[in-house]
Amino acid sequence: MLLEAEGLSVTYGRTRAVASVDLAVGEGEIVTVLGANGAGKTSLLRALQGAVKPSRGRIVLGGRDVTAQSSAARVRGGMVLVPEGRQIFVSMSVHENLLMGAYLRRDGSADADIAAIYERFPNLARRRDMKASVLSGGEQQMLAIGRALVARPRLVMLDEPSLGLSPLFVEQLFSLLRDLNRDGIAILLVEQNTTMALELASRGYVFELGEVVLEGSSDRLLGDEALVAAYLGGAAPLPPPNHPGP
Amino acid sequence: MLLLQQLVNSVMLGSVYVTVAVAFTLTIGILNFLNFTIPTLFMLAGMIGWALAERGLPFGLSGPLPWPLALLVAVAVAILASLVVERFTFRYLKARYGDATEHAIPLVSSLGFLLIIENLVRIAYGTDSQRFPGPEANLTVEIGGLFVRLPQIVSLVAVLAIVAALSLLLKRSRIGRGLRAIAENPDAATILGVDVNRIVPVVFVLTGLLCGLAGVLFAINYGEVSPAMGDDVGTKAIAGMVVGGLGSIWGAVAGGLIVGLTETMTINYFGADTVQVAVWGLLLLVLFVRPQGLFGHNAIGKGKL
Repeated sequence: MLLEAEGLSVTYGRTRAVASVDLAVGEGEIVTVLGANGAGKTSLLRALQGAVKPSRGRIVLGGRDVTAQSSAARVRGGMVLVPEGRQIFVSMSVHENLLMGAYLRRDGSADADIAAIYERFPNLARRRDMKASVLSGGEQQMLAIGRALVARPRLVMLDEPSLGLSPLFVEQLFSLLRDLNRDGIAILLVEQNTTMALELASRGYVFELGEVVLEGSSDRLLGDEALVAAYLGGAAPLPPPNHPGP
Repeated sequence: MLLLQQLVNSVMLGSVYVTVAVAFTLTIGILNFLNFTIPTLFMLAGMIGWALAERGLPFGLSGPLPWPLALLVAVAVAILASLVVERFTFRYLKARYGDATEHAIPLVSSLGFLLIIENLVRIAYGTDSQRFPGPEANLTVEIGGLFVRLPQIVSLVAVLAIVAALSLLLKRSRIGRGLRAIAENPDAATILGVDVNRIVPVVFVLTGLLCGLAGVLFAINYGEVSPAMGDDVGTKAIAGMVVGGLGSIWGAVAGGLIVGLTETMTINYFGADTVQVAVWGLLLLVLFVRPQGLFGHNAIGKGKL
C-alpha cells in the first residue's frame, strides 16, 4: 500500500473529529471518502498531510512511518493535499503559485513540469504573470491542482474540489483526475458529488461522525445507494407516500 | 542653502529610521507581529559596539578593539539576541499553543525582552550617554557648498543597498516566496512543505541584521550611544512605517525619510520641543487622509508583505 492509516484519531479539545479510522490507498489507485458535512473528512485529510497532529494512530507512507514527521517530509514522500477552498496564494502571481508547488524540489527541473501544467491549462499560461486573485473559481481550482502536481506527487489528496464549480468545470475536473490517474498518480478524493466520485474511484469509504461506517468497492457502494444515502443524509429515496383513504 | 543643508542632514537621520522601520515592516508583514524588541536590538548594537571599542571584551579578556571590528561584533550580537527572542517569544509559544498566541502574547513577551535587555545594559554600563570612539579623521566633504560627512554617504548607500537586496530576496528567491506564502496563508504554505520553524528564524536574523546595522550607523554618525537611544528611534520608525504604509518595504523607506525630514525641519524652524507633535501629527494626518499609508496595500490595516 502507498498510504496506510491505522487507528487514526483527531481530537480538537473534547471533540473527536476522526475516531480510529483505518484507511489505505494503493499505488495508482483512486479512493474516495464520502460523508455528510462535519463527518470528519477534512480533518482526516489534514491529519494525513500533517497539518494537524493526530491524537492517536499511525500513518505510513510508502512503507515509512511518517506520523511524527512534518508536512514537508510527507510532500517529499510524494503526498500532496489540494485543500478545501483551493487556498491559492492570491497575493502572488499564477506563476509564483506554481513555483510554490516546487518549493521542496531541489532537482531544478520544475520548469518542465510547470510548462506541462501550462500546456494542460492554457488559461493559466495566459495569466502567468497576473495575480492569482483575478482567476475564476474554476481556474483557481486548476491552479491549486497544478500547484500540487508540480511537487511530482505519487498521491494527490483533494478536498471537495468540485465545490462551487459550474457543471462544465466539474466535468473537466473529473476528466483531469482520470488523466492524472492514467499517468500513475494515486488519488484520495473527498467529494460531495457521491455518484461522480464513486464512478471515478475503485473503492470508497463512508464517514459518519468521524468513523468509517461503510467501505467497499465502488460498484458495491453504488449498488447500495439507499445505504449510502442514509449516511450521507438528505438524498435518500423517499418511501412511497401513504395516501389516506377517501 | 541652509534649507538644502537641512535636507542633507534629514536624509542621514532618516536613513537610521528607514532601517529600523524596514525591520518593523518585515516582522509585521510576515508574522503579523509588532516586534517590540526591535528598538532594543538597535540600542544593543550601539552599546556593545561602544563597549568593545572603548573597553574591549568583558572580564578584561582583551584591550579596546578597533572600532570597525567592534561594530562588526555588535551586529553579530544583535542578530544572536534576535534569535534568542524568536526562540523564547515566538516559537516556544507558537509551537505549544498554536494560533491562540497570535497578536497579543508575542507582542507582550517581546515588550518583556525590550525592558529586560535595556535594563541589563543599564546594569552593565550605567545609564549615561557614552561617546563612541569612531573615525577620528575629519571626513567631511564639501559638495557645492553643502557639507556632507563621508560616513553619512556610506551609511545611506549601505541602507539603500540592503533594502534593495531584501526586496529582491522577497520577490525573486525561493526563500522569499516561502516567507510571502507564510505571510498570506500559513496553513497552505505548510501543506506545500514550507517549514515554519525553519523559515521564521530567517525573519529574525534579518531583523537583527537591520537593527544592528542601524545601531552601528547611529554610533558612527552621531558619535554617541546610550541605553535609551532605542526609545526615540523605535517610536519614530513605527511612525515612519505607518506613514509609508504597512506591508510595503519601499513604503517604510519613504516613511522613514519623511519622518527624518519632518524632524529636521521642525527643529530648524520651531525648536526641538515641537518634534513629537509634528511627527505624530503628521502620522494622524496621513491616517486621516489616506488610512493605508502612502504606499500601503489598498486594504486598510492589511500589512502583509
